[in-house]
Amino acid sequence: MRHQAEALAAKLPPLMVAADQVAATVAQGVHGRRRIGTGDSFWQFRPFVTGDAAARIDWRQSAKSDRAYVRDMEWEAAQTVCLWRDASPSMAWRSGRSLPEKRQRAELLLLALTSLLARAGEQIRLLGVDGRVFCGRSALDGVARALPGHGDGLPGRAVGVPRHASVVLIGDFLSPLAELRACVSRLAAVPASGHLVMVLDPAEVALPYDGRVRFRGLEGEAEAIVPRVEGVRQAYGAALVAQQAGLAAMCAAAGFGLIVHHTDHRPETALMALWTALDAGRAR
Amino acid sequence: MIFATPWVLTALVALPLLWWLLRATPPAPRAQDFPAIRLLAGLQPAEETPARTPWWLLALRMAAAALVIVGLARPVLTSGQMAVAGGGAALLAVDDGWSSGPDFAARLAAAGAVLDRLERAGRPVSLLTTAPGLDGGVAPATAPMPAGELRPVLAALQPKSWPTDRGRAASRVMGHGPVFYVSDGLATGRDAPFVRALAARGRVTEFSGGLPARLLRTASAPEQLLAKLRQIPSAVARTEFVLAETNDGRVLSRTPMLSPAGAAEAEAVVALPPELRNQLGALRLSGAPGAGSVALLDEAARRRPVGLVGGGTGADTPLLGDLFYLDRALAPTTELRRGDVASLLKRQLSMLVVTAGTLPAGEAVAVGDWVKHGGLLLRFAGPGLAAGEDADPLLPGRLLPGDRQLGGAMSWSQPAHLAPFPDGSPFAGLRIPAEVSVNRQVLADPSDPTPQTWARLTDGTPLVTAARVGSGEVVLFHVTANADWSNLPLSGLFVDMLGRLARRSAGVAVVDDGRMLAPALSLDGSGVLGTPPPAARPVSARDLADTMPSPLHPPGLYGPERDRHALNLGSAAIPLTAMASVPGADLLPLDAAPRERPLGPWAVALAVALLCVDMVLTLGLRGLLARWRPGVAALLIAACVAGGARAESPALATHLAYVVTGDAQVDATSRAGLAGLSDYVNGRTAAVLADPAGVVPGRDDLSYYPLLYYPVTSDAQATPAMVSALNGYMHDGGIVVIDLRGGGSEAAGSGAGMAPDTGAALRRIGQGLAIPRLAPLTSAHVLARAFYLLQDFPGRFDGDTVWVQQDQDRSNDSVSPVIVGSNDWAAAWAEDEDGRPLYATIPGGARQRTLAFRFGVNLVMYALTGNYKGDQVHVPAILERLGQ
Repeated sequence: MRHQAEALAAKLPPLMVAADQVAATVAQGVHGRRRIGTGDSFWQFRPFVTGDAAARIDWRQSAKSDRAYVRDMEWEAAQTVCLWRDASPSMAWRSGRSLPEKRQRAELLLLALTSLLARAGEQIRLLGVDGRVFCGRSALDGVARALPGHGDGLPGRAVGVPRHASVVLIGDFLSPLAELRACVSRLAAVPASGHLVMVLDPAEVALPYDGRVRFRGLEGEAEAIVPRVEGVRQAYGAALVAQQAGLAAMCAAAGFGLIVHHTDHRPETALMALWTALDAGRAR
Repeated sequence: MIFATPWVLTALVALPLLWWLLRATPPAPRAQDFPAIRLLAGLQPAEETPARTPWWLLALRMAAAALVIVGLARPVLTSGQMAVAGGGAALLAVDDGWSSGPDFAARLAAAGAVLDRLERAGRPVSLLTTAPGLDGGVAPATAPMPAGELRPVLAALQPKSWPTDRGRAASRVMGHGPVFYVSDGLATGRDAPFVRALAARGRVTEFSGGLPARLLRTASAPEQLLAKLRQIPSAVARTEFVLAETNDGRVLSRTPMLSPAGAAEAEAVVALPPELRNQLGALRLSGAPGAGSVALLDEAARRRPVGLVGGGTGADTPLLGDLFYLDRALAPTTELRRGDVASLLKRQLSMLVVTAGTLPAGEAVAVGDWVKHGGLLLRFAGPGLAAGEDADPLLPGRLLPGDRQLGGAMSWSQPAHLAPFPDGSPFAGLRIPAEVSVNRQVLADPSDPTPQTWARLTDGTPLVTAARVGSGEVVLFHVTANADWSNLPLSGLFVDMLGRLARRSAGVAVVDDGRMLAPALSLDGSGVLGTPPPAARPVSARDLADTMPSPLHPPGLYGPERDRHALNLGSAAIPLTAMASVPGADLLPLDAAPRERPLGPWAVALAVALLCVDMVLTLGLRGLLARWRPGVAALLIAACVAGGARAESPALATHLAYVVTGDAQVDATSRAGLAGLSDYVNGRTAAVLADPAGVVPGRDDLSYYPLLYYPVTSDAQATPAMVSALNGYMHDGGIVVIDLRGGGSEAAGSGAGMAPDTGAALRRIGQGLAIPRLAPLTSAHVLARAFYLLQDFPGRFDGDTVWVQQDQDRSNDSVSPVIVGSNDWAAAWAEDEDGRPLYATIPGGARQRTLAFRFGVNLVMYALTGNYKGDQVHVPAILERLGQ
C-alpha cells in the first residue's frame, strides 16, 4: 500500500508541473475582479467618508496630506469549488500508444484547474474527501496528494458541498443516463452549480475497428462479439450522440455546463473553456 | 513425373470435404478492450454476412493438404527415354579404360540413372567393367543383385589408366536379359566379340558421347616445348589450356590450345624461359582429368648437364676468355658445371667442353672412357692444339701441324665465310649470318677418312668435325671459343650450334639398355601420380618406349630417382578411332537419363512451410501479431538495410588501388594480390585497409588512394588523360608502383621472359610521365625499413633491381613518387578465397613469399607514413652523437 502510494506520489510532481504549465497559459488570459472588496491586494486609496471604520484609515497615506485616506482592497470573494474525477477502470484506457489514458488527462485537467483556482484564491474541495479544504499555494500539492485515494464511482451523496459552491466533474460519463441524472440532481439540490467535462478517447468516438471483433469491457461487462464492426459503426456513432445529447439536456435542466474533450486534443483548450465557464458562473 | 505409391492419391477425394469443414469454421475473432462497450451492446449491423474463413486462407490450407497427399504418394521426377525391356537379370557394362577418365563422373551418373530405373522396376542387375583391374585381369561380372546394393560398388568404381580389354570382357558376359552399356567410344582391336556377346544377351541400350578420347604428348622443338594432342575428331572446336606443372604441383604456365572442329591433332607451344622449362614435371590438359591428358616429362626433356673444363689463366676474362663466350652460349639452355675433369666426371654429364689445347695424359684416359660410354666431348682449337706434335687420341681425326691464317696484313687471302651446313650435320637448317668469318683455323688432315665434317668453310676446309668413339662422340671446332680466330663466337649462330650439340648429347647417363626400371610413380585414371598398383612390374629401359600401358606397366615414372623415365599414354601407339555402336542397340547420349529425383520430401516440406504461413496469417487475423509488430518492423528494416547496402565512397576507408589494364587475368591478379596484401597488413599492423579498388587513371579520381599498383602489359598504351592523371597523382604525393611482371628483367633467377615486351611498353608509357631520376633500391632506403628490415624485395620473381627516386624531394616528404620493378609482386600476394597462394613463386619457397608480403607491408607503410621511419636510417649516427 505504502509502496503504491509512494509510486503514485513519485508520479505526481511531473503531473503537477504539467498542470501548472497548462494553468499558466490559461491564467494569462484571465484577470481579477476589478472591483473593490475584501482581499489581499491593494486596489486604491479613497478619501475617508463618514461611516468608514476608523481602523481602515491608512495612516501613512493620510499623513502626507490634510485629508484622511482609506485603503481599499480588491474584492476577492473566495468561493468553494468542488472537484471530482472519475477513477473507474474504464478510465484507465487508451486506444494507442501516442495518446494519454483518459484518467491521466482527467487528472491533468483537475490539477491544472486546481492550480488556476488556487492562484485566484478560491477554496478547493475534493468531492468524497471529507471536509478538507485546499487553498493558497499548498493547494496544488495537497490536491495531488489526496487524489490517489479519491473518486471511485460517481459521487453518491452531495456531502460536504457548501451551498452555492461550484462543482466540476471530470469523467467519461458513459454510464446509463439515469445514474448520471440522479447524481446531478442531487448536486443541483444543494444548491450548487457546476460543469461536467466529458473526456473521450478518439477511438470511442470513431470506433476504428474492422472485421470480426470480440469486445471486452473494462468493468466486468459482458463481452460483445461484433461480426462486422464496420457494419455497426454508424449505429454506434448515433448511440454516442444520443448519450451526449441526453447529458446536455440533463445539464441544462440542472444549470450545469457540459464540455466534451477528446484526449487527442490539447488540454489547454478544455481548461480554457472550463475556466471561462467557471468565471462566468462566479461573476454572476 | 511418376508416383511410386499412386494409391495414396485417392485421398485427394477427401479434399472437398476438408474444404467444406474449413469453410464452416470461421477463424477466432480478435479480442479488443473497449470502455464504451455499453453503447455497443444490442447494436444491429447494417448488413449481415456470415463470418467465413477468407477464401485465400482456405486456398492456402487446401494447397498444404494437397501437397501432403501428393508428397506421401512419393512422386519421382524422371525424364529421358529409357525403357527396361525384356525379362531376366540386367547387365550394366561400363568402360573404365583411360579414355573414360575425363568425364567419368558423367558416366557414373548415367550408370546411376540406370540403377534408379532398375531399382524402381525391382530388377536384379550385375555390373561388368571392361578394363583390366589393378591386379591385371578383367574381373568377372558381379552376381545379379538388387540395384540398391550395387550402388556402393558403382560409387567405388575408378577409371583406370590403361586401355580396356573388351576381348576378355566378352567372355564375362553371361546370362540373358537387358543390357545397359556405358561406352567410352574408343575402338580397340577386339571389340567384335564383345559387341556380339552383348547383342546376344538381350536388348542393348548404349550410352555414348561425352568427351572424345584425347592423348597429350610432348615433342621437343629446337627452342621450345611443344604440346601435341591426338584425339578422335570432334564436331565442335574447343580451346583448352595446357598447364605446365613442376613436380611439386606448381603451375608455371597456362597455354591455350585450339583444336578446330574435325581436327585429329592440335598443338601448342609451351613458351617458358629455359630456366623454368627444366623444372617442369608434366604437361597437363586443364579441365579434363585423365591419364591421357597428362604428359610426364622425364630426364630426356631436361636440360643437359654440361661440364666446362677451363684451361689457362684469363679464360674467364670478359670479352677475351674462352669460357666467357661458352658460358653465355650454354647457360640459357643447359646446366653448366665448372671444375676439373675428375670432379666433373664423378657426376652425370652429357657433354664435356674442353677449351684448352690438349688434355693432360691422366685426364685424357678418364675422358676417353667416358666418351666411349656415350659422352659427347666438345673441343676447340687453339694455339696449344695447333702447336701439338703428338696425335691426340681425343680428336676426331689427325690434324695438320700448325694453323692457317686467312686475311690479315701479311696475307693475300680474305677471311673465309661459312658454307651452308651439309644435310647430315646436326647444324643443318641453321641460318648462317653473312658477317660470320674465320681468320684462322687448324686444318684436318685430308688423308684421314675418320672424321665427319659437320660444318665447312666456303673453300671446303672443315670447320667442325666429329667422330664416333665407342658409343660417344668427339667434336672439334677448328677455331677458338673466343673471338681471336673468328667472329663466330660473337654471333647468335654459335649459341644455336652449341644448343644443337647439347640436345644431341642424349646420354645423360651412360645408358645400359638392358637395365630393368622399376615403377616409381604411376598415373591413376584421373591423371594423378601415386604409388604404382600392385600388379605393376619393372620394364627394361630398351623396351620402355614401345611398351603399351597396361596394369603390368601403368603409365607413370620408372627407374631410380635420379634417372626417371616416363611412360606416357600419349607416346604409346594407341590408335584413336571411334567405336561403332552395338548393332540394334538403343543409342542414348550420356545425359539422356538424368538421375531420378524424389519429390516427396520437398512436397511435404513445402506443405509444412505453407502451414507455418497459415499460422502466422491466423495469428494476424486474431490481432495477436500486433504486439510483435515492432520486432517484425525491425527485422524488415534490418533486411532492407542489409539488402540495400550500397557502394560507399572510397574516401570513407583506406583502399589500395590498381590500374585496370583491360587484360582480365592481369586485373584479376592485381585485385587478388592487393586483397591478399590488405589482409596481411590488417593482420599484422595497425593499418586498416578496405577492399582494393580498380581504377582507370583519367576516369576515376585517384586522390583517395595512397598507393597505385600499375602492372604493365605488353600492349599498354598511354592516353593523354591517363598520363596527366598519373602525373598529377605523383605530384600530389601519391605513389605509383610500376611492375613489369618479369618483363624488364635480365638477371638470372628472375622471371625474365615471363611477360615479354613490357619493358618496351613501359618506355612507351613513360615518355609522358614525369618520372624523376631513379636509383636502385638499397637496404638503406626508408622503404627497406618502413616496417620490416629488408635486404631484398622479391615478388613472384626474385633478383631484379627495384628502382626508386634518386634525390630526396623534401617538399614531398622525401617519398619517392614512383617505384619501378619487375618482380610481379601482385602475383606473389594473390590468394584465393581459402588463403592459398594463386601463383607459384620462382625460384620458389615459402620464404620468398613471406619476404614478398613483407615488402608489401613496407610499401603500404611507406605510402601511409612517408619518411616517418626515415630517422631509423640515421640511428647509428644519432647513437654515435649521443655517445659523445
